[in-house]
Amino acid sequence: MPSGCSIRAIWILNNLDSLVFSRRFPVVEKRWRAVCERENEASAADDSLKYTVFHLLPSDSELVSAFVERKRGEGSTRGLGTRVSQSVKGSDSWVDDPITRHIIGLYINKDEDGDNNLLWPVILHMKGQFSVLVLPLVEPRHLKAYACLCKRSDCGNAVGVDDSLSSLLLDLPSITGAFTVAHAIGDIISGDGVEPEVVVSSAPSVGGLLDSLTGSIGISGISSRAKPVAAPVASASPSGAAVAGNATSDAPRIGARSLDKDALRTFITSAMPFGTPLDLNYSNIFSMKINGFSASDLPPSDLKQPAWKPYLHRGKQKVIFTIHEIIQAALYDRDEIPDSISISGQINCRAELEGLSDVSFPLTGLNKNQIEVLSFHPCAQVPEHGVDKHSLMFSPPLGNFVLMRYQATCRVGPPIQGFYQLSMVSEDKGAFLFKLRLMEGYKSPLTMEFCTVAMPFPRRRIISFDGTPSIGTVSTTEHSVEWKILTSGRGLSGKSIEATFPGTVQFVPWKIQRLPSNLASGSIADEDSDIETDGSNNIINIDECLMEKMNKDLLSVDLEEPFCWQAYNFAKVSFRIVGAPLSGLSIDPKSVSIYPTVKAPVEYSTQEPYGKLSFLVLMTISLPEVPFKVANVYTYRSIFSYQQVTSGDYILWNTLGPCPSAAVPKV
Amino acid sequence: MDDKPPLKLLSPQEWESLIDDFQYGGARRQKWTAAYAILPSLVDQALASLLKRDFPLKLLLVLFLEEFSDSLFADSDSDSDSRRSFLHRLVDTLRSLLQSTAPDGFAVSFSFKEQFMVSVTSILISLETGLDRPGFVEELEALVESLLTVVNRPNHGFDRQIRAVACECLRELEKAFPCLLSDIAGHLWSLCQNERTHACQSYILLFTSVIHNIVVERVNVSILNISVPLAPFSVPQILLSKEGSSAGLNYKELRRAIAFLLEWPQVLTPSAMMEFLGMIMPMALALELQTSMLKVQFFGMIYSFDPVLCHVVLTMYSQFLDAFDGQEGEIARRLMLISRETQHSLVFRLLALHWLLGFGEMLLKKGDGGKMKSFVEMGLKFYPSVFDPLALKAMKLDMLAFCSVCPDVRNSNSESDKLVVKLFQDGLISVSAFKWLPADSTETAVAFRAFHKFLIGASSHSNADPSSTRTLMDSTIFHTLQGMLVDVMLECQRLVPVIVALIDRLLSCQKHRWLGERLLQTFDEHLLSKVKVDYKLVSCFPIFDRIAENDTIPPRRLLELLTKFMVFLVEKHGPDTGLKSWSQGSKVLGICRTLLMHHKSSRLFLRLSRLLAFACLYFPDLEVRDNARIYLRMLICNPGKKLRDMLNLGEQFLGISPSPASSIFSVQSPRSTHNVKKPSNLSSYVHLERLIPLLIKQSWSLSLSSLSIGNNKPGNLEDIRDPEPIVEEREIDGSSSDTIQIIPENERINKPREPLRVMDSKISEILGRLRRHFSCIPDFRHMVGLKVRISCSLRFESEPFNCIWEVGPPFGGLDVIDSLPAIYATVIKFSSSAPYGSIPSYRIPFLLGEPPASGNISGQGVSLDIVPIANGSREDKRFRASVTVELEPREPTPGLVDVFIETNAENGQVVCGQLNSVMVGIEDMFLKAIVPPDVQEDEVPGYYADLFNALWEACGTSCNTGREIFLLKGGKGVTAISGTRSVKLLEIAAPSLIQSMERNLAPFVVSVIGEPLVNLVKDGGIIRDVIWEDAASHDDDDKGDDANARDDFERGPLHLTYFDETTDRDSVVNITKRNMGCFLVLIFLPPRFHLLFQMEVSNFSTLVRIRTDHWPCLAYIDDYLEALFLA
Repeated sequence: MPSGCSIRAIWILNNLDSLVFSRRFPVVEKRWRAVCERENEASAADDSLKYTVFHLLPSDSELVSAFVERKRGEGSTRGLGTRVSQSVKGSDSWVDDPITRHIIGLYINKDEDGDNNLLWPVILHMKGQFSVLVLPLVEPRHLKAYACLCKRSDCGNAVGVDDSLSSLLLDLPSITGAFTVAHAIGDIISGDGVEPEVVVSSAPSVGGLLDSLTGSIGISGISSRAKPVAAPVASASPSGAAVAGNATSDAPRIGARSLDKDALRTFITSAMPFGTPLDLNYSNIFSMKINGFSASDLPPSDLKQPAWKPYLHRGKQKVIFTIHEIIQAALYDRDEIPDSISISGQINCRAELEGLSDVSFPLTGLNKNQIEVLSFHPCAQVPEHGVDKHSLMFSPPLGNFVLMRYQATCRVGPPIQGFYQLSMVSEDKGAFLFKLRLMEGYKSPLTMEFCTVAMPFPRRRIISFDGTPSIGTVSTTEHSVEWKILTSGRGLSGKSIEATFPGTVQFVPWKIQRLPSNLASGSIADEDSDIETDGSNNIINIDECLMEKMNKDLLSVDLEEPFCWQAYNFAKVSFRIVGAPLSGLSIDPKSVSIYPTVKAPVEYSTQEPYGKLSFLVLMTISLPEVPFKVANVYTYRSIFSYQQVTSGDYILWNTLGPCPSAAVPKV
Repeated sequence: MDDKPPLKLLSPQEWESLIDDFQYGGARRQKWTAAYAILPSLVDQALASLLKRDFPLKLLLVLFLEEFSDSLFADSDSDSDSRRSFLHRLVDTLRSLLQSTAPDGFAVSFSFKEQFMVSVTSILISLETGLDRPGFVEELEALVESLLTVVNRPNHGFDRQIRAVACECLRELEKAFPCLLSDIAGHLWSLCQNERTHACQSYILLFTSVIHNIVVERVNVSILNISVPLAPFSVPQILLSKEGSSAGLNYKELRRAIAFLLEWPQVLTPSAMMEFLGMIMPMALALELQTSMLKVQFFGMIYSFDPVLCHVVLTMYSQFLDAFDGQEGEIARRLMLISRETQHSLVFRLLALHWLLGFGEMLLKKGDGGKMKSFVEMGLKFYPSVFDPLALKAMKLDMLAFCSVCPDVRNSNSESDKLVVKLFQDGLISVSAFKWLPADSTETAVAFRAFHKFLIGASSHSNADPSSTRTLMDSTIFHTLQGMLVDVMLECQRLVPVIVALIDRLLSCQKHRWLGERLLQTFDEHLLSKVKVDYKLVSCFPIFDRIAENDTIPPRRLLELLTKFMVFLVEKHGPDTGLKSWSQGSKVLGICRTLLMHHKSSRLFLRLSRLLAFACLYFPDLEVRDNARIYLRMLICNPGKKLRDMLNLGEQFLGISPSPASSIFSVQSPRSTHNVKKPSNLSSYVHLERLIPLLIKQSWSLSLSSLSIGNNKPGNLEDIRDPEPIVEEREIDGSSSDTIQIIPENERINKPREPLRVMDSKISEILGRLRRHFSCIPDFRHMVGLKVRISCSLRFESEPFNCIWEVGPPFGGLDVIDSLPAIYATVIKFSSSAPYGSIPSYRIPFLLGEPPASGNISGQGVSLDIVPIANGSREDKRFRASVTVELEPREPTPGLVDVFIETNAENGQVVCGQLNSVMVGIEDMFLKAIVPPDVQEDEVPGYYADLFNALWEACGTSCNTGREIFLLKGGKGVTAISGTRSVKLLEIAAPSLIQSMERNLAPFVVSVIGEPLVNLVKDGGIIRDVIWEDAASHDDDDKGDDANARDDFERGPLHLTYFDETTDRDSVVNITKRNMGCFLVLIFLPPRFHLLFQMEVSNFSTLVRIRTDHWPCLAYIDDYLEALFLA
């Protein structure tokens, strides 16, 4: 079997575990059956491999019941991921690998046929309320290898020496391909960017750079010849996007959006007519479906037009770069734990150039010590030995795209420094103190547009609050206190300020509020009936005592979360700084060259209308209580053009309480 | 099929539900296929609907046909005609559809055309079963031809997408029928060269697959040749003839084609790139291309953030190891960096780490140690960061574990050992929250996963693994981990269950069992000494339980700790800790039980018995005390293996119950009902036997039973009680009411005084003695009567027992004893028709079955050395339980005692049934007369002698005492003596008589008279504490010395004249020629009777004079004496 990727079937289930879409690819299925027959014949001859692979594709009902069965056994849709006490042999969690939350095995007709009919690897991608299941074609031996892994009777894999899931995954590009398919489908069904019209409708009326974009996008939805669709740029959602929303991830939300099955069928027909993915760029596919081609769409005279660029731009030419960085920080203000600050950034680009032009520019300020990861859009031509010369050449596709991603450290100090201390004076009353310095050491073009500090108390209800900050305003909600240090419109530029905020907060008395947890409920249950902490134990500190009490009811988080947010007290800072990227990376507009040579017009930043190039560094953090999705929609409207409002985790840990940390490598 | 109606005409809605039902499968699909003849009509209707202008569901319907045609036609394999016609019509429809370029109003939309092309191709491929199927080739050719017509318009404007799709259809056909298009490869190449729109990707892929198949199938065709026309298309001969014409490849042309193809990788999408390289790579191998060229061209893709492209590079690496040699470091670094890209979705970051692990494994397997260096150097980069999702943290910890097993690290010194520890400790910081979060938190799961990974390190599960356990055990990381786990348990007892789970995981692994054991040993050594003895200790009990289960760990420390804990519990006990004491005490006993189950009793005995004894004595809770007592009993009484089985059995039924002790007892009840049904002749293999066999066997019981049946018991008693019937009755009456009671009492007091008569001093002396004697005899009606104890032994045979009760030979214990069955908690009940009062039942806690007879064992081929053991052990006390039957006879008669047994087999079955009866003989009734408490010990012989004489007199014919009544002990009952006399001559020589006497009647002899006899008996030493009398000194004071007396005896007749005082003696002397002397025997027969023998011993015969106050016993005595002396 060639090392390509073929899909046997796709299923989409909603959050009520009913199947809303299914698609099978009989050509791939025929290949699978042929291989199975050969394999089963061979294994019949060879006694050591008695296991026969399941060669049929399940019907929808069989699949759903297998899926529900797995969910029941594993405690949640995703599964346990690691082998814990409730794992059973033959299940995914028995393999003891977190990736089994994404690559799952299903037993078809388990009741009748037992563990024989294993369907693997089923790619599970959860998007919104839907679960997308994709079954790529693998060889029977891979399936057998996995079956061995999840039924092994020993204590689990030893790294590097046993036959492992890792080497299987390395051998199977089809799994990787299936994931990209699943993600593409997920984007379509969740509506993230499938509907180019949204971009158009929200596009008007904001000046500067946006006008220039509407010029081209605006036509797309309306005119018959719309080409480029604004590609969703902010595909990256940094970790911890859904802060504290962990426990609800599997909870069903009723009122499911109906699925646009026709759009899906159209996409599948074009993207993978026979089950083999060819092009998963849905904006291209949909604009081709909507617009078709006319005789006037001439191909380039001497070159081949790339498959990823079905249309060529005509008209005004321009190139826009946007550098978008997200800063993540964990500030401890402790001697024993160093602060950790990291920046993940990307260069977004929109190049409206006629023909098939190549763009190249040198990356300046690319200090190896600060920027450590560089990865590029497939259109970029990266020489064999990586980017040594710091010069990048690419032939841009249509629309907005992410040209480059990087991880960096902060060139200057953190934009906000200081500490947050919260101490419980009684079980239901806490005294806190903030002392922050903003923009220490930040020079003039850098402007902090707003800055908000939120103290979330997701598990406690606030009764009253007392305290006045040295600057800014304070508001409270049921579960959080929000301190607006800088409000938008009053940017902070060229100077640094100090802000302090002492206060107290009073909570509703603590009650045990154990929710019916869906997994692990009975595991260690009533065991401690007679070890209950009587008052006589030696906790003197009220903080510790309370923590002990509260931690008892903590629900475990998903493996997708970095830690159990609710176990800690912290303040989360949201801010936005514009003016320059913090990593020090920059693009000198003068040195951008385009081949074949065209006169590319200049573009403008929001600060400097009609300036040369724009740097927009956006850093915000959404409130933990507000789901990411909602925040996105709001910001989408107001800062509509770039969809760059993303959230990073900028956390001030309570200096007086426990906090998560990680070791920093000292070389 | 004919009997079913054809499918009705379906509306679009009905189509929709039909499609839904087919997809749903199962019953919903059956609904349609059962009701209608699906095949011809459904397909007909579908095709007709597709051609309708305004049919709304065309796309859906086409897809339906595509997805289900296979299974539709699979139902009727024989129906090839309908299949053929279906295919024919499909291809036909497609052709007409493609030609209808007419964009009239409704116009066939492009997307429908595209889908239809795809579907027809797909149906054709999936229905195909072989090119030799009649008519198939024609359809195939027609389809290919139509598609080629579409394809053959390069650079055409508006239909470029449909051309791309047609290329894909052709490619799919080429995949299904390799070399189908090989003849027209030249045309395709030129089309490929010409096409410049975005559809060129499909052309490139199509051409690539064609030459790929040419290379793989090694077909000799010229790909430059365009002499074969595109249309009409015909299937190449090589496909039809099936003869591999492997005349060799046209390398030159093919290389040129590949060179052409490699010019255009940048036009491909990432997915297409994967497909493209998937075909290029085998070709490059087959054509021996310079693979470094591929590296130059494609290695840059690893810098892309598209995961598909990265994976393609990895695939290339594994295929062209030589070309990519030296890139390992770069690849590894790159994969590591992908995992750190926060912009990626989590799954790709995880995948990148998996690839890296897989990549490392690949290098390890190749033995490329040098290349692993880059991994180790990168180690620090895998430190999880704070905001990494936990899944990623887990994977990064895996990577750290991998770094620690890299050969570079493994083969070396303490420094690298330290590095491993550092990696581990640093890595774990990211999830150190597990120490304060609940035990079921995800952090805990991740942390313990890492514990496990680092613990087992590089020791794989394959049997061929050479890594020795020794190195692992000595490693620093192992020591660190051990210490860490101990600390964790001391700090946060919450985590004990998780640690137990980890231990269990290791213990259940064949390969790493020793690791778990080693950890438990460490805990035993270090944890037990450090834990604080307080109420919280109970949270450590799960781990104690594991320690207790493990017999590699001496239980000393654990038992000491538990004893301390018990002491603590007892000391702390107060009014508010009642429940806690109970619960924790029970848990301690639970561990004791585990210990009992898993250790040799001898190992535990001292400390455990001390612990249990302490609990029995001092523990405040009753249940705990009871349970402790039961355990102690078990520990003491039952051999180890049995004990374990017994305890284990309870576990199966009462796994949840925290109260461990009740197990054995609870088992019975649910099972007893159905087991009782089993018919069993238990008596054939369960035996209750008398220890001392009876002298008289069968005849006895017969004569007795007739007697006891014949005589009404109360009547019988009444008879015997004749002398004072009135008093008896009154007394019985008296007991019913108080008022009357007084009266009889007065009367009774008066009555003894009533018979006033003259008595001489001798008679009054006799009466006095008798009164004293009778006042010592308990009145069984008012108090505990005199008991007669019969010692028996219970035993049972193993083999029949096992067979009948299906106990089955217990699990292969090597010890013979272990393989024997046992019975538990046996109760033996007795009943008898003879007047023996109520007989208390007897209990035996435990009894082993007798090993089978030695002959059987050797016969079964068991090694011979067992035989002596088995033989020896047959007599072993373990196989016999002593049973005492306690009778309280109302009348001294022989009889039968019926025996019932109720017991438990090992498997919990209740065994009950009747055993052979125990015979009671008259000799069982023989008791020594009761000595009043005020008689000194040295006066006893004298007392007996006096009593004998008194009774002798009283039972004599001269019934001086006949009217006398004697009060019994307690003062309520009275009795009288009515004597009977009898004589028995035993023809037996004196020595054997003396022997028999010594053996059977020695205790009852009160006096031996006559020097010759005394001399004979006294030396034997068996008859002791009796009155030794010379005949001379006693009876004949005036007869000189001893020597004379002896002579006199020998001269028997001479003495006659001297003995005339007592007529009895005269007669004896008269009869016996050589009188040696005489035994006086006093036997007490419960409840209040006596049997007196005066045995005049001569050399060859003995005359026994018998007197008794219970005449019926004479019947048995006769037989008894005969059996005793004449047998």
